[in-house]
Amino acid sequence: MNKTMKWKQKSMAYMPYYVLLLPFVSTYILFMLYPLIQGFIVSFYDWEILGEKAYVGLKNYIDLFHDPVFYSSLWHTILFVLLSVPLLVVVGLGLAMIIHQPLKGQIIFRLIFFIPTVLTVSVVASVWSAVLGSYGGMANTIFRMFGASQDILWLNNPTLAWISVIVVTLWWTVGFNMILYLAGLQDIPDELYEAARIDGANGWQSFIHITVPSLRRITLLVTFLQVVASFKIFSQVYLVTTGGPAGSTRTIIQYIYEVGFKKYEFGPSSAMSYIFFFVLLVVSMIQFRISKERS
Amino acid sequence: MVHKKVSPGKIALYTVTIFLALLWVVSLIWMILVSFKPSGSGVLSVRSWFSPPFSIDNYYYVLEHAPVILWIWNSVFVATVTTICVLLICSMAAFAFSQGRFPGYRIIFWIIMAGLMVPGEAILVPLYILFRDLGLLDSYEALIFPSIAVPFGMILLKQFFDGLPKELYEAAKIDGCGTYRMLFVITLPLSRSALAALGIFTFLGSWKEFIWPFISITDAVKMTIPIGIPFFNSEYNADYTIPMAANVIVSVPAVIVFLIFQKQIIKGVSFSGIKG
Repeated sequence: MNKTMKWKQKSMAYMPYYVLLLPFVSTYILFMLYPLIQGFIVSFYDWEILGEKAYVGLKNYIDLFHDPVFYSSLWHTILFVLLSVPLLVVVGLGLAMIIHQPLKGQIIFRLIFFIPTVLTVSVVASVWSAVLGSYGGMANTIFRMFGASQDILWLNNPTLAWISVIVVTLWWTVGFNMILYLAGLQDIPDELYEAARIDGANGWQSFIHITVPSLRRITLLVTFLQVVASFKIFSQVYLVTTGGPAGSTRTIIQYIYEVGFKKYEFGPSSAMSYIFFFVLLVVSMIQFRISKERS
Repeated sequence: MVHKKVSPGKIALYTVTIFLALLWVVSLIWMILVSFKPSGSGVLSVRSWFSPPFSIDNYYYVLEHAPVILWIWNSVFVATVTTICVLLICSMAAFAFSQGRFPGYRIIFWIIMAGLMVPGEAILVPLYILFRDLGLLDSYEALIFPSIAVPFGMILLKQFFDGLPKELYEAAKIDGCGTYRMLFVITLPLSRSALAALGIFTFLGSWKEFIWPFISITDAVKMTIPIGIPFFNSEYNADYTIPMAANVIVSVPAVIVFLIFQKQIIKGVSFSGIKG
């Protein structure tokens, strides 16, 4: 057999795999890689909505570093991560521990805590805007029943707006963390608890010495996913507070959206997207390092 | 039977659980109650929530004034097509990476892996430019195409395929089974649990997707639920009753489906979350 025939035969064997890869790879290139590269290019241009463009070098990036709104949006995003991640992880674990107990109506409790996660953000935001609203909003009406004389304007004060945004996020998304933790809890063998009980450990001690260490892998995973999700915070905040009052809850994705699709300044918006991407990449790398060291 | 005394710990646990559960559902119960209050009637006291008048006029009003049924259909259609495409395309690629050894394997695999790190939010502008140039803004294609080549789904399935017994493939090869048949006759039927998990995960993701549809869809007849509802509700700032009726209408299908497939959905979510 000569060389070309051998090569031909070999490539015939590879052929089916390339065919199987083709749909994935072509859509991946067109809707992921190409936009990723295109976005990088756009970030160096003054790119108008109708396609007129002028190369401006690093100007878009430099302008951002002089833009106070960019800094405040980035800071709000980081603040949201710092406030929401511990809460969502701990409450997720707490709810999982509750529904893991052999309670009557266990299924109903699990259902109740998980159901918000299947609702769309539009419904969540609309319901919570009404819950937090004044003049007939649910929260204020209940507070009035207990003797409050004035409505609390939840969304008019930066601190209260932040509390609202975090409560809405907790209510909407914690069910996901709960389910991951529940799967982790179910994997802990009962014998471990049995043995601890024989050794005279109380509930708290077996929680600290058995439950927490057994859940280490799940905790890393939940934290990792939650950090990334919290960095991407946008929709519920935008729909409930529109970033207000006075921009005090504006996050980085909202600013990317506003610059790109309200002002139609594609260049600066792309530059910001790339900075966001870079931040997220660094954060993921750090988390990856930590989880590798721990396991 | 011995009558067991209920321990104080158990009572405390029930109290906490029931309290939390109430805290979790109170807003949804309120949404349902208010949606049945006649538009403009007072909801200013807790007692008024539970006492008549009630009516279903708000529901008629929403159905007449907004294409909510169309939005539900759009959401179902887009999520279904996206899920089918993801399952098909990702399992084909996953099979190639799991069973094949071919030139370019490593480089292609790593380029796809790198995509795991790219948040969809980071490519909104170029994606918008691309779909505008293709003339596909305000279309189902815009809602479906960008979310079908997902590295996460491909890698999830590859890991699952890798775990299937090697002997199966060898036996099939001896019987003269070709590559394509192997995928569809052996691998996929054995991977039902992984496919179901990925399918549920994808469907939920598509159902809830907000930012890209929000940017690419401006035509009311192409809107999905997450985009349509704020578009409609923004006109009723002072009134809670009509928006709540709209919220109930679009949530009912999702909640019913969830109640029916509760077990599978929870299993699918935890499988995708943990393995991915």
